Amino acid sequence: MIEITCNDRLGKKVRVKCNPDDTVGDLKKLIAAQTGTKWDKIVLKKWYTTFKDHIQLQDYEIHDGMNLELYYQ
Amino acid sequence: MGSSSKKYKEKEKESRKRRHHSPGYTDEHEPPKEKRHRHKRHHRDKKRDARAKHDYDSDGSDVIEVIPDDEPSGSGQNAESLSIEETNKLRAKLGLKPLDVSSGDKSEKKRDDGKKKDDWGEFYHKPAENWADKHEREKLKGKLTTIREKRQLENKLGKVKLLGDSDSDDNVESWVDKNRKIELAKKEAEKRAKMLEELDEQFGVSEFVENEKKEKRKQRYTERNLKGLRVEHDVDSFAEERDVILTLQDKGVLDEDKEDVLVNVNMVEDERYKKNVINKKKKILYNAYEDQEYDEFGNPKEKSLLAQYDETIDGEKRESFKIGYDNAVERKQAIVQSIKEKLAKKRIESIETKDLKLASEYYNDEELSKFKKPKKKVRKIRTKGKLTADELEQQINNKGIEEVGSRRPKKELEDLTIDDIPEMEYPTDVKLEDEKDDLLEKALHKTRKIKQKENLVAEIVKSTPVKSESEENLEGSIVLNATAEFCRTLGDIPTYGKSGNREETEDLIDFERDLKDEPEMDEVEQEEKTGWNSVDPNEPHESPQIAPQEVQILDEEPDVSTGLGAALKLAMSKGYLDKEQNKRPSNSRLAHLQAKHYSIEDKTYGDEGDRANRRERYTGPIMEFKEKDGFKPNVKLEYIDDDGHVLNSKEAFRYLSHKFHGKGPGKNKIEKRIKKGVQEQLMKKMSSTDTPLGTLNMLQAKQKETQSPYVVLSGNKQSQQTAVISKSRR
Repeated sequence: MIEITCNDRLGKKVRVKCNPDDTVGDLKKLIAAQTGTKWDKIVLKKWYTTFKDHIQLQDYEIHDGMNLELYYQ
Repeated sequence: MGSSSKKYKEKEKESRKRRHHSPGYTDEHEPPKEKRHRHKRHHRDKKRDARAKHDYDSDGSDVIEVIPDDEPSGSGQNAESLSIEETNKLRAKLGLKPLDVSSGDKSEKKRDDGKKKDDWGEFYHKPAENWADKHEREKLKGKLTTIREKRQLENKLGKVKLLGDSDSDDNVESWVDKNRKIELAKKEAEKRAKMLEELDEQFGVSEFVENEKKEKRKQRYTERNLKGLRVEHDVDSFAEERDVILTLQDKGVLDEDKEDVLVNVNMVEDERYKKNVINKKKKILYNAYEDQEYDEFGNPKEKSLLAQYDETIDGEKRESFKIGYDNAVERKQAIVQSIKEKLAKKRIESIETKDLKLASEYYNDEELSKFKKPKKKVRKIRTKGKLTADELEQQINNKGIEEVGSRRPKKELEDLTIDDIPEMEYPTDVKLEDEKDDLLEKALHKTRKIKQKENLVAEIVKSTPVKSESEENLEGSIVLNATAEFCRTLGDIPTYGKSGNREETEDLIDFERDLKDEPEMDEVEQEEKTGWNSVDPNEPHESPQIAPQEVQILDEEPDVSTGLGAALKLAMSKGYLDKEQNKRPSNSRLAHLQAKHYSIEDKTYGDEGDRANRRERYTGPIMEFKEKDGFKPNVKLEYIDDDGHVLNSKEAFRYLSHKFHGKGPGKNKIEKRIKKGVQEQLMKKMSSTDTPLGTLNMLQAKQKETQSPYVVLSGNKQSQQTAVISKSRR
């Protein structure tokens, strides 16, 4: 289990527990459950790389305690 | 709708439940945010509204909202998070597998193994060295070694008996035993020695041994062998009652004749060091003031010429002595000698001072006697008034010698060559005059001189042939007269008027004075004949005294009373007369050179002639060439500058040069020259008898007016000043 922090620097900051073999889409759904935004409206980024929905977190080398940028589309 | 509201209520409950246990969880991640809550209250209310709204919206959607703990939400730093169970529930709803808490641990465990999976397979990574462990290990090792060493040392020292420790043979018995054993051993040894000796005597060995010993002693190298060896050190440098090891000094293999010299290496080095110190101290070799130098004992050193080279020439001087020869007496003598010298060369000065005396302006008798009076020049008066043949002969001989040396003055040669008389005749034909005839001869000579004086100018030019002729006519023999000789060479003498020969011309007139003066003249002549002038050192040297002239700033004004020339000079200096007039070839002087028929028309004639020549070029000569015999033009080169001033040669050159180069002098130069010209003009106009302001005239007028020999200068302190000035005027 890993825990990831997502911050849209507009007032929402969520900590999400997930598995490393979850996909980014799964993560988005979890975030959506916590924040109340629709999951397909969420964009996750780290610097300039936008994470794609179908790829696992471990493949993106997202580890425990990492910070992801939360954007909306 | 109802379901949703129910759901909401549930959530509320959950959240409230969580509120109790959540702080523990959140505290792990964030610091307590109590203060911030107040700020966020308003915001939170808003959110609630939004949530309420959202409830309506979310009806149809599959979005499951989980509102986590309210309080930390909304803040930038606070992150909302669910517990594992909650997330698991949520995940179940979303259709995801639950969070695997154990698997995460497993993975971590795997990582601890050091096993890594890679594209190329599994491998173990060698763990890095732990420095702290290593350090500790080393520390431990060090400790162990020290302990071991300590133990070993203790073992070793444990065997040694300390001074304080009691010996093993504490008891008297053992000690007595020991001593007894030692004594016995000694006795036995003595016995054995005696036995051996007895045996030796029996065989006669002992004598032989003793003889050998004696010989050996003889052969030993002792003091006797050292006698006469030279030690190259000062005797005083050896301290008494101390051993000094001397070694033979190194010397070349081939020079056998050198004697052996003993030397102590350390002392040699000391000496070298001392010498180096002296060399360093050495001042400049040249002692300008020739001060006496002293050695270390205060004795004045003897000075030799260029003493600094003594060592390089003579070699180093070294103190030495011979072993076995006691030279104590000599040394004592040397010391005494040095003291004597010291005393002898010491200057003794008394402390007493001379009595003070009043200095007198006059010499006392003693001083007068000391005062050297200038000796009157005692002239060597020769009885013979004239050159005699003897002397002549002698002179000729001398000349012969001198000619070899080629030191003969030229003048003499001229004297002889001018004479018509051949030199060969001197010894044979010359009649030797007796001294008795001197007076008569002089009289004759005098009359002749007077006669000659009448045509003096011509005489000087051709005096020699006339004289010789007359002499030959008179007596049929040559008369070499000193005066005549002198007269002949008169022109050649550069030192005219130096040594009294100025009187000569007067002598010719006055017979009686001549008689007196002749010897002197002879002497002069004598001096001229011989190339070298003998100088009598006793005689005070009489150089032609030139009266020390006062050098004036302005040239001395020539005395007008002496003659017209002086007057002219004065006039010229004052500017009454122009200098240029003198320079120009005066018509009167060159009148005989002037063309007789020359006129201004002649100039044109010259031009015409030129034209004619030009014509001739094409036509050929019309008239035959006529030489102008009488053409003697008075040529005068004069350069005149732009202002009409006549330029002298230097100025003219400068003027031409400026013109040639097309570059004039600078502004300052021009100004300077103009100023100079103006000043010159002023100088010429200046009155010679008065100051430029005419003060002298004014003074004289004033004096005439007041009829007094002084003038009162008005000022502040009138009375005092008049007194002073009147005094000075008188």
